[in-house]
Amino acid sequence: MVTLNVNGKNEEMDVSPEMPLLWALRDRLNLTGTKYGCGRAMCGACTVHVDGEAIRSCSIMVGTVAGGKKKITTIEGASGKVAAAVINAWQKLDVVQCGYCQSGQIMSAITLLSKNSKPTDTDIDLGMEGNICRCGTYVRIRQAIHQAAKSLA
Amino acid sequence: MASMIQPKARRYLPGLLLTAVLLMVSATAAQAQTSTADSLAAWQKVSSVLTHPRCLNCHQPNVPKQGDNRQIHVPLVVRGPAGHGVGAMTCGSCHNASNNPTSRTPGAPHWHLAPASMNWEGLSDRELCLMLKDPKRNGKRTPEALVTHMANDGLVLWGWEAGAGRESVPMPHKEFVDHLKVWVAGGTACPK
Ligand code: FES
Ligand code: FES
Repeated sequence: MVTLNVNGKNEEMDVSPEMPLLWALRDRLNLTGTKYGCGRAMCGACTVHVDGEAIRSCSIMVGTVAGGKKKITTIEGASGKVAAAVINAWQKLDVVQCGYCQSGQIMSAITLLSKNSKPTDTDIDLGMEGNICRCGTYVRIRQAIHQAAKSLA
Repeated sequence: MASMIQPKARRYLPGLLLTAVLLMVSATAAQAQTSTADSLAAWQKVSSVLTHPRCLNCHQPNVPKQGDNRQIHVPLVVRGPAGHGVGAMTCGSCHNASNNPTSRTPGAPHWHLAPASMNWEGLSDRELCLMLKDPKRNGKRTPEALVTHMANDGLVLWGWEAGAGRESVPMPHKEFVDHLKVWVAGGTACPK
């Protein structure tokens, strides 16, 4: 039995410690806002937070974040000033195309802005490098991050 | 100083001094038995491990490499201020403390890029040797501390348990450490 602290709540489940966190979130907890893209840590669709750091939940194993001390946050639980600014900018600029990559993009953008309140284009490109968008919304993602940064200043 | 030592401790002092002298003599004897030529020969074995992709891929200036073909890490990740990446792209974003059999990302404790001062890429054998024994560029390690580090550190040991799709260091770990000890005992000799 493992305990995962997800979106502020301790959840117990009988799964292997080697199971990708993504399966625990989607299949056990029904938190389907986090998406499955590649399963190989290559696309970022599965990005969630562990203690505020962006992680690829398809690649981080349940055992790595189990025990209840590490705080896991999914797109469903994203909250706070930075999250609100990011989501607001995303809506204003209509960033989303098909949407599949976007929960991961938003989670990564929140981490980026939490560490760097005034990112340059290069900071954004490097800091968001792990999040791929097959619809090519990169230009709007960049703009939205700049806008969120401005609104937080 | 001797007057500050308690009487009981004073009783043990000659024995302690004798042990210390014996240890120094035996260390010097071990060093004397190991020639510079032995040390140099051992270095060639050590260097063959250090330049294996499992070691060299993360002893890079700014961007790690990956795979046996030593390609630039995909997705691109850069060193950042602490050698752990930047923004939402850190080592811990994808790497666990052990290999992940599902996503196949390699993993070991404190997975990260070696400090910039320890970039081994593009060095000649001599340059690598000089760097390895330079405390300014080897994490302030004495030769003995280097042996301890390479014998025990979890991230170093991963090179011998690299997981599916990657070649582990072919020389057995114990053999590598034995060569390292000979290199040290013979005075950390470096090729010309
Ligand atoms: S699904 Fe996790 S990075 Fe692609
Ligand atoms: S919006 Fe379609 S994949 Fe990014």
